[in-house]
Amino acid sequence: MPGERDLPLAGLRAVVFTQAWTGAVTTMLLADMGAEVIQIEALERPDPWRGGYAPRLSGTYANNDPGERPYDRNANFNSVNTNKQGITIDLNHQEGKDLFLDLVRISDIVAENFSARVIPNFKLEYPVLRRVNPSVIMLRMPSYGAYGPYAMYMGNGGTTEPMSGISSLLGYDDGPPMNSGVMHTDPVSGMFGYASLLIAMHHRNRTGEGQLIDLSQQETSVHLITRQLMEYNTTGAVPRRQGNRDGLMAPHGNFPCRGRDSWVAIAVRSNSEWRSLCEVMDRPDLASDPRYSTLYGRTEHLNQLEQAVEEWTSGQEADTVMDKLQAVGIPSAPVSNAAQVLENPQLNARGFFDDVIHPLTGTYRHTGTPWRLTHSPRKPRHPAPMLGQHSVQVFRNLLGIPDKEIASLIDRGITGDTPDPEE
Amino acid sequence: MTALSDLRVIDLSTDVAGPFCAKLFADFGADVIKVEHPQGGDEARGIGPFLGPAEPAESSGLFIYLNTNKRGVTLNLESQQGAFLLRQLINTANVVVESFPPGEMEDMGLGFESLQQASPGIILVSVTPFGQDGPWSEYQATDIVEFAASGLSSVNGLASREPLKIPGFETYYQAGVSAFSGAMTAVCHRDLGGGGEHVDVSILEAAATIFGPQILAAQHSGRSPGRRGPGRPTGLFPCKDGFVSLNVRHEPTWRFMWLFFDEPEMADDPRFATQAARRERNQELEDLLIPRLARYTMEELFHGLAPIRIMVGMTLDVSHISIDPHLQERGLFVESEHPVAGRVGHPGAPFLMGETPWELLHAAPTLGQHNREVFTGMLGHSPRELDRWSAQGII
Repeated sequence: MPGERDLPLAGLRAVVFTQAWTGAVTTMLLADMGAEVIQIEALERPDPWRGGYAPRLSGTYANNDPGERPYDRNANFNSVNTNKQGITIDLNHQEGKDLFLDLVRISDIVAENFSARVIPNFKLEYPVLRRVNPSVIMLRMPSYGAYGPYAMYMGNGGTTEPMSGISSLLGYDDGPPMNSGVMHTDPVSGMFGYASLLIAMHHRNRTGEGQLIDLSQQETSVHLITRQLMEYNTTGAVPRRQGNRDGLMAPHGNFPCRGRDSWVAIAVRSNSEWRSLCEVMDRPDLASDPRYSTLYGRTEHLNQLEQAVEEWTSGQEADTVMDKLQAVGIPSAPVSNAAQVLENPQLNARGFFDDVIHPLTGTYRHTGTPWRLTHSPRKPRHPAPMLGQHSVQVFRNLLGIPDKEIASLIDRGITGDTPDPEE
Repeated sequence: MTALSDLRVIDLSTDVAGPFCAKLFADFGADVIKVEHPQGGDEARGIGPFLGPAEPAESSGLFIYLNTNKRGVTLNLESQQGAFLLRQLINTANVVVESFPPGEMEDMGLGFESLQQASPGIILVSVTPFGQDGPWSEYQATDIVEFAASGLSSVNGLASREPLKIPGFETYYQAGVSAFSGAMTAVCHRDLGGGGEHVDVSILEAAATIFGPQILAAQHSGRSPGRRGPGRPTGLFPCKDGFVSLNVRHEPTWRFMWLFFDEPEMADDPRFATQAARRERNQELEDLLIPRLARYTMEELFHGLAPIRIMVGMTLDVSHISIDPHLQERGLFVESEHPVAGRVGHPGAPFLMGETPWELLHAAPTLGQHNREVFTGMLGHSPRELDRWSAQGII
């Protein structure tokens, strides 16, 4: 019965340096599933997705207002750190490092996605952690992984897309390669990171043994275009950019609808779906035209074909087109922008979005977890931590540090919740 | 030892998302038995590239990649005997992965409730376009439809043209890893006393999680991000032999870049004194950069700028990827020895695990390759029964 049992990962503790997008997604999933996630930041260098300190701010803030604590109001940070506790530790300080190792001693998982030189610089490599906690699991996920010729190079989604081959394939058939408008390889790599941790957890449950995981975001991203890689291996030809066209489906694309920037996705998978489409479009002439009766024929005459579909869609609402096509079993949906995704009837019917009350930004709707477990209760979603919000609580309750010592740590800038910009 | 060697998984799924989930189980040591229809099998067998000299159904490169390390049997689940054999198989398993339209498992008498009655700890993983319930649950989708509905297409391409889907099957892979993650969450829960679970994965939801930051930003700002307008239309800069991504607006990378170009005085150009000014005067900045970048190859820029802590990426195409020295050194690519298609190269480990590494033990199964091994060896039926079922089209 739902609600009867604990959350699936209750009792696990992760102490993490995950930041920006990739690693933050990994550890948010841990937190969603009930693990206690303690996110460490440095006051002089908070998570870059907090958007920095004035006067150099970047990002989107609640009501477009950075406010007094902009780093607590940034949409990026708040979107991928819910259900975590936030503490600050200065690792340049030996006492800070000791605090971290004290936390490792009582944790199951350590995760990070710094560039690969940071952990060695702090002398916090896996053997060091293992010395204080022999069964700890450590996940490292720099852009290019933890070793290899590019390992020390910095990267982000903007470099992973081109370095994994994805950008070379993205673009219009007559244009240059492109990066996407969303650094999608970050969260996808983050999901792979979560998967890797659960494999390691199961192994540890069976044997008591921890391990080090080295995840390269470049590599997880290369997996996404395996088909094109294998095509090249087979034919020796580099696949060209072709917009939304697809060798196995035609027509296949986003077609214009009534209204500004309104589009509908349509994918015709078979000859019978093509005949259904002609019927819906009321074009018996196309249905009976032998040039279009096979996939080969349709891909040979794509321009005429797409023009015919466009003529039909462009006078209609995207929702209407989808309803007509789904009624006859043809895959279709309107192209939604971010605000429209929030209105999606399917996502809403399934309760995908969680209502979150953030103390500084108010109530908003948070994107949900991509799987549901019918026998495990869903955790109510707590807002992302404000900078250093849980420092005192964690040091006092988990490490048993007396308040006087905590006050001294704050005085000396080793922890706290008040920014201390680097420059 | 392998991490998941105590698990048996029955993979009923087809196409990309479900099989990728089951592949992760197989590649980390689970005994995954893939069940296909005796006529034609998994539809991914029909997706190229086709690598063998004959028998396209046995030489699909995508199928070979998605089904490494699995055993393969055939069963016609519409026949009573087929459904019975499947139930026998499931009784030996910990996890079932399926991608039937919602309701079909129930129609076959294999809904979660009935599976649980037979094996209380069973984990059933269902991967469908829109999830098990809701007004769209019967709707049809492909990758481009999931891209559209999740918001992911709205930001790719030019503002003046149609939005673009990202090539590949990204929403399917994302849903496949999500399904595996949800299932492994349940496995780890069971390790510590939890019970069976039905893991319900909607490909749309898996895709929409990718767009989470944009969805929150749209609520905060009242406007949704769009596609790129004039100015920096692709996010990439042309150079001598290709394109690079480059981020040099921040200090001190701005200064380092001008050192690389051997024009350190340019860093003090008052027009570009601050990060904000560099963003504002983007077009002018590009006009400065493009002729300079054109003097260098992608590799010269990458190996010249990355060591001085500038974020730079080469726009590698699949021909570069397949020989990239970094990927080679880390051993990303492996070769399957496939009985029909021969030696087939494809990506191997998705991540490197110190104690329980990814392993390629055997290639994807040919259709029904392990029928005898599974139905006689494992379930104890006689070879004669197998012959009869084969003649009847049951296996």
